[in-house]
Amino acid sequence: MMKKIRQNTNGSSLIVVCLVLLSLFFLIALLAPWIAPYDPVKVDLLNKLADPSTQHWLGTDHLGRDNLSRLIYGARISLGFAVLIFLSALLIGVLVGCISGYAGGWLDTVLMRMCDGIMAFPNLILVLGIVGIFGPGLMQILLALMLVQWVYYARICRNMVISLKERSFIAAAKISGSSSWAIIRRHIIPNVQHPIVVIGTLEMGWAIMDISALSFLGLGIQPPNAEWGSMIHEGTAYIRSQPELMIYPGVLIMLVVILFNLLGEALSERYGVSKREL
Amino acid sequence: MLQVREVGYRYGHRRNWLRPRKENSFVLNQVTFELNHSSCLSILGTSGAGKSTLGRVVLGLQKPHQGQVLFEGQDLYAASGRFRKNLRRDIQVVFQDCYSSVNPLMTADQIIGEPLRNYERLSARELKRKTGELLEKVGLSVEDGNKRPDQFSGGQLQRINIARAIALRPKLIVLDEPVSSLDRVHQSLILDLLAELKASLGVSYLFITHDIQAAMTLCDRVAVMDRGEIVHLSDSPASLWNSQQTAVKNLIESVLPDHPGDRLTLF
Repeated sequence: MMKKIRQNTNGSSLIVVCLVLLSLFFLIALLAPWIAPYDPVKVDLLNKLADPSTQHWLGTDHLGRDNLSRLIYGARISLGFAVLIFLSALLIGVLVGCISGYAGGWLDTVLMRMCDGIMAFPNLILVLGIVGIFGPGLMQILLALMLVQWVYYARICRNMVISLKERSFIAAAKISGSSSWAIIRRHIIPNVQHPIVVIGTLEMGWAIMDISALSFLGLGIQPPNAEWGSMIHEGTAYIRSQPELMIYPGVLIMLVVILFNLLGEALSERYGVSKREL
Repeated sequence: MLQVREVGYRYGHRRNWLRPRKENSFVLNQVTFELNHSSCLSILGTSGAGKSTLGRVVLGLQKPHQGQVLFEGQDLYAASGRFRKNLRRDIQVVFQDCYSSVNPLMTADQIIGEPLRNYERLSARELKRKTGELLEKVGLSVEDGNKRPDQFSGGQLQRINIARAIALRPKLIVLDEPVSSLDRVHQSLILDLLAELKASLGVSYLFITHDIQAAMTLCDRVAVMDRGEIVHLSDSPASLWNSQQTAVKNLIESVLPDHPGDRLTLF
């Protein structure tokens, strides 16, 4: 299916479509207090598990809370924290990768063995372990996911820096008096940005999945606040009578992740970044 | 001005008891020579002779394992901090591969302006004016300053590299095979430009090449390297023709005759 989409739209229009739809999601998340028709945590037990109606477009859950409002507020957590994780992992990863690749020697060995250690663990188990130690909560999840995601940026960044270092413009910059920091800033980071953007887009999808998965397990956001993963969890009790309680947030997660993956694909094609490199 | 004293350099991974160091693994061995102001010394040699390593040692990129490199009487590798930065200001470089010696994402102005930004506090307008002057000095136009490397040909890129090298008005420029990646026509144009700049700026060249003809046109002194050692060092390039060294003879024989079948008749 991916191939078909790519054939029908040339790379750039796919990028535009993905970006527009994603920014729509982000806009809704950002404007949640103004868009959402109800307070997402307001309980109305007389109206519980209501079917879609003009008052509640997507019905209500087992405590009578408006599903649409909860989905909109849930987007804030899912998307907002994914962006936070993305940004912090990117910052740490690029910095560590550049330093590691540029300095080489024992520093490189220590940092890369650290990456190997983190990569050798299944992500979710590592995150569960961290949450197990520090207790459930969004901050802990944020920290844990950041800790496992930066290694991917660091890895690719380091490999690119090592291949860049061989090019003589780095030596020429050194000779013309640029400090190591200036070389990293002026020459190395601009030259690694494309693969980093691609991998970052793909990692965003993973971050959203991970946050939802952890919330589904009850380790992330705590009730009564809404988050897509925790909404699926709450819906499991009514899977026979009201399956849409799980379907709504599930579809949203799927949509956003697909959009990020498509965007990543399109960008990697656009920038000529091969999948093998990642 | 530049004194290279008994410099030795070796490559290879750090050895330990499992991998003992091989005897005689030096890429540079007891290399000694001097270079004066406004003169040009050519380092000739086949690939693998160690001449590029020598260039990197002189540039301050690779600390030699033995010996000293003195520039204006100061040890290049003993200096530190700001002092070292100022010492290095006077040694600039033009590399062989013109494509990889410029950052593909920068404009020509940014490339040439980099050394100026590092050493001189200039306003944006002054910087632009200076890079424009430099572009014209190497035979390009001011408008070329906004172009990026993929819009230039190899010869033009090498001119940009030369402009970057002369931006700080250095005393010494290391030319590491500066014309080897160009075609014959551009080779001679670039050599003309280098000769002209040498006359007008009074700069010295350390001209690393395997091309004996290019060396002849530009240099007043020649050194021939073979397997890490200088086997021939002379004040007159013509002396090469009387040398009995195999390395020198091989170099001379590699020059293509004007007509196929002719014996070489340069002098």
